[in-house]
Amino acid sequence: MKSENEIIDDFTAREYEFGFVTDIEMDVLPPGLNEEVIHFLSAKKEEPQWLLDWRLKSYEAFKRQKMPKWQNFEAPDVDFQDISYYAAPKDKPKYESLDEVDPELLETFEKLGIPLNEQKALAGVAVDAVFDSVSIGTTYKDELRKLGIIFCSMSEAVKEHPELVKKYLGTVVPPNDNIYASLNSAVFSDGSFVYIPEGVRCPMELSTYFRINSQNTGQFERTLIVAEKGSYVSYLEGCTAPRRDENQLHAAVVELIAMEDAEIKYSTVQNWFPGDNEGKGGIYNFVTKRGICKGNNSKISWTQVETGSSITWKYPSVILKGDNSSGEFYSVAVTKNHQIADTGTKMNHIGKNTKSRIISKGISAGKSQNSYRGLVQIGNRAQNARNFTQCDSLLIGNKCGAHTFPYIESKNKSAMLEHEATTSKIGEDQIFYLNQRGIDPEQAVALIVNGYAKEVLNQLPMEFAVEARKLLSLTLEGSVG
Amino acid sequence: MLKIKNLHASVEGNEILKGIDLDIKPGEIHAIMGPNGSGKSSLASVLAGKEEYEVTEGSIEFEGKDLLDMDPEIRAREGIFLAFQYPVEIPGVSNIGFLKTAINDIREHRQLPPLTAKEFLQRTKERQKLVDFNSKLVNRSLNEGFSGGEKKRNEIFQLAMLEPKLAILDETDSGLDIDALRIVADGVNKIQSENNAFLIITHYQRLLEYIVPDIVHVLAGGKIVKSGTKELALELEEKGYDWLKEDALNKTV
Amino acid sequence: MLAQVDTDFQEQITNTFEDLSNGVFSSEPESLQNWRKEAFSAFMDLGFPTIKNEDWKYTNVKPYLKSNFTIIPNLQEIQNGIPAKTENFFGKELSAYTVYVVNGKINFEKSNVPDTNSVRIQEISESYATDGFLSRLKCKRDYSINPFLALNNALFTQGIYIEVEKNFQLDKPIHLVHLSDLDQEYFQLAKNVVIARQGSHFELIESVENTGHNNFFRNASTEILVEPNATFNHYKLQKGSENIRMVEHTEVEQQADSQYNNYTFTFPGYQFVRNNLNLALTGSNIESHMYGLYLTGGKQLVDNHTLVDHQQPHCESNQLYKGIMMDKSRAVFNGKVYVHPIAQITNAFQQNNNILFSDNASVYSKPQLEIFADDVKCSHGSTIGQLDPEALFYLRARGISESEGRSLLVNAFAFDVAEKIENPEIRELLENEISKTMTGVEY
Repeated sequence: MKSENEIIDDFTAREYEFGFVTDIEMDVLPPGLNEEVIHFLSAKKEEPQWLLDWRLKSYEAFKRQKMPKWQNFEAPDVDFQDISYYAAPKDKPKYESLDEVDPELLETFEKLGIPLNEQKALAGVAVDAVFDSVSIGTTYKDELRKLGIIFCSMSEAVKEHPELVKKYLGTVVPPNDNIYASLNSAVFSDGSFVYIPEGVRCPMELSTYFRINSQNTGQFERTLIVAEKGSYVSYLEGCTAPRRDENQLHAAVVELIAMEDAEIKYSTVQNWFPGDNEGKGGIYNFVTKRGICKGNNSKISWTQVETGSSITWKYPSVILKGDNSSGEFYSVAVTKNHQIADTGTKMNHIGKNTKSRIISKGISAGKSQNSYRGLVQIGNRAQNARNFTQCDSLLIGNKCGAHTFPYIESKNKSAMLEHEATTSKIGEDQIFYLNQRGIDPEQAVALIVNGYAKEVLNQLPMEFAVEARKLLSLTLEGSVG
Repeated sequence: MLKIKNLHASVEGNEILKGIDLDIKPGEIHAIMGPNGSGKSSLASVLAGKEEYEVTEGSIEFEGKDLLDMDPEIRAREGIFLAFQYPVEIPGVSNIGFLKTAINDIREHRQLPPLTAKEFLQRTKERQKLVDFNSKLVNRSLNEGFSGGEKKRNEIFQLAMLEPKLAILDETDSGLDIDALRIVADGVNKIQSENNAFLIITHYQRLLEYIVPDIVHVLAGGKIVKSGTKELALELEEKGYDWLKEDALNKTV
Repeated sequence: MLAQVDTDFQEQITNTFEDLSNGVFSSEPESLQNWRKEAFSAFMDLGFPTIKNEDWKYTNVKPYLKSNFTIIPNLQEIQNGIPAKTENFFGKELSAYTVYVVNGKINFEKSNVPDTNSVRIQEISESYATDGFLSRLKCKRDYSINPFLALNNALFTQGIYIEVEKNFQLDKPIHLVHLSDLDQEYFQLAKNVVIARQGSHFELIESVENTGHNNFFRNASTEILVEPNATFNHYKLQKGSENIRMVEHTEVEQQADSQYNNYTFTFPGYQFVRNNLNLALTGSNIESHMYGLYLTGGKQLVDNHTLVDHQQPHCESNQLYKGIMMDKSRAVFNGKVYVHPIAQITNAFQQNNNILFSDNASVYSKPQLEIFADDVKCSHGSTIGQLDPEALFYLRARGISESEGRSLLVNAFAFDVAEKIENPEIRELLENEISKTMTGVEY
């Protein structure tokens, strides 16, 4: 029979499934970053002067920033001059309806399992698809509009709803927040914009799929979600990229704003190209995600399933400003081969009776390094604040590493914080038990891993939970048999 | 059904089983008794295909096929079921979900179509009743937070669900109070038929009052030193194992 | 660089190193001289740590270095003139071999040194040729995480050397009482070395007190070797005058089958304490226990940093640190468990529990795990909270007053650490001190 090592080798060596390239004529700006590029970008998108100024100011901030050193890996030496900051399908960058979209593009999204055709679309899910830098199409738009919900690409929002964009852009993640946020603020290409008016419960999942296709391009999308008083929205993003030998940069910024009694649920299934078995190529996924619970009784919940990227470096966070507001972070991060993940969250308790809950499940295999890094901060006015954190690490094989770096700070005596962490491995006895019941080793590992990650997967909207579960099994399973 | 010939097995170079011969036919119930450390549980582990055990000599045939060639899950699909002495806990993996996977894998192996959701549900209800297993436990994570007795009863419930040809009960009775023991035994008696066989490994004679064996074997020092009828079990309870050891010793000298 | 510290002090450090290098250092073994040079150049590069240093993120030492400190390498002449006030320190009533270290020198006259050849207690400056001392010079230290250690290694002239012979079991603990009493603001650099030879078994208690009226900064480091099968219990009793500021760095190398237990108890008093406790588990079948209790008051800052480095399989380490923060005090706990790829079958546990007793107090907890082996059981937990309201209600429902209920619960919280102490006398001393500290504290 196969030894445990063989099983592990098999499934940790599995190839990336979405590594194909779509052959489409692209408008690509030559590599390089300077003020002219920003002028070009802004002009191409016909942006108002204030946004151009904002971009230029961000670029100034970017030039002053230094690469941080506190992370648990050596920050790769990204040559910002070697990246193209604009790439878009050549013909018709704007579509009147989905019928006009290049069939090859539609096919790409079909291949990824994201049907843009509304008839075939997943029931109750509105999708915005972003291909390299440009939004390809948004489904269910009209239906949402009837409720007053705005769900469109960021470029469109800048044109159609400039007052909203201007009011909220950069208010949660300021342009000088960190080097990659500055870069994004200077050159962001597209992304999604969501606005839920007062008292409206968005009746369907909103979803964006990101696809990097071109070579030597970076993807810098910007997402902004505003939930007005008493509203609710659930949003999901997914991402893939072709296999390339070079590393590609993905530096997105996501800002969430929840007013009084509002709730935002943000889910990510991240499956960027992780590099090959030798660690060559793959996406640098350096993303700044932050939400603010601005109003009382508001709630923001992050759920992430991270299986791709050669380096994942992000901390979806919540600023709990409103009284009784709550923040949640549920994460599964799987690393294998030479992948690196340094991810976690920040919960910043400012208001009274604020609550946060962090569940992080790391799974490391191969030669990968998987770190949880989290900050829970209780300010001195955060009476009765509560936090519960659990972060577990699962090791598969002994060439990988699992690391836990929690920062727990309290300045309020009525606050209660609880943090627990464990490290364990998939027990041989567990695999054997399942084998004895007729389940093969590969499936046994998938079952155990899914069981281990269950608490997080359960947070995903149902349609995507199924997908994520499959993705987890696929990522770890390989071709045993 | 099962033919073991001159089976020798070792763990980390220490020989544990030193030449076992055993022949089990369909419809039979065999009991293996013996003092602690005699190799009883090792035999169960070797039959199920536990990796640490290295078979150094001899053969095991199951329904005419070489068992030693098979991976543990193939053995299970062929119809061998081990009720573990210490069932493991697997957090987050639901009892019922995993059983569904197992049943359909086994059926596929036997070239049977998978059970429909309805059929599966029906079988679950039926077998649950048959072995008197708490329906709340059925839907929980696999053995997680179960009491010792609940774990053992879950093993019997799984036995009923998977319908193996040969069931090996490894010290299923140890740690059970008399009521739980009776329930477990009742379940086994209901499942027992002309087409299946049981190998019951136990330290105590108590279980054998409820599940009546056709043959009782005594394992000592890695060998079967005596075989007999169910009366042998009573004799062992009374006299202990020492007289047998001496007996065995006399024989070998 | 040293920009953040007073330039006078910086100059003093440089001058002292130059003077000593040309003076007493020049007659020291070459390996020690090289060691000092390396440490000095590391310190000149690093300077005193700032909050930008991840290991000093919550501990700004700048205010504690602000006094007009003097480094006095040669205290011989001064010491003779000043009688040590040996009657005044925490833990005086303990029955032990009490060794008075006054302004960095052993006062043999007052001390009660064990009367056996199996235990050596002597000045560090007389021990440079010993195997024990030389073996410690071979250990490489990462100065970037504690620049104070670099400064200490470069400049120390004082300290104590203790060695307990193979298989010797000492009947009573050795109690090192570090006393200072000078008429100037004194920056002390002390190096202790403790060698527990194979199979030996003994206990060491340390107390620090400043009986003078001037500010006193103690930068001490202790190098400990616990040889195979030896057992060493180490108690740090930290309670004393408010003009004491202290960085205590402890490096422990544990060899196979050994046991090292550390008990660090900090009470209100000292203005600033930073304890670094680093354990290297270099053999198999090692057991290590680290127990800490910090009850902080006033404007005190107490910072405990631990590192357990599991280098070999089949070892067990266990950390339990608890704290109660009162008044305007601050506490930091930073614990790290590091498990190397070959250190399979490691059990490592770490627990940190805190209660804030005041709206002006704060606590920072950073328990960390870095695991590179898969067959391990490692966990940590950290809590910050208040007394369990349900437990309090239960007690009140049985007729116990609220304040009494509280003190019962507080004592239970703190006693949890104290009860791990095997030595009954030390346990009793600490339990009494806990009760005394917590009685009548407003919640």
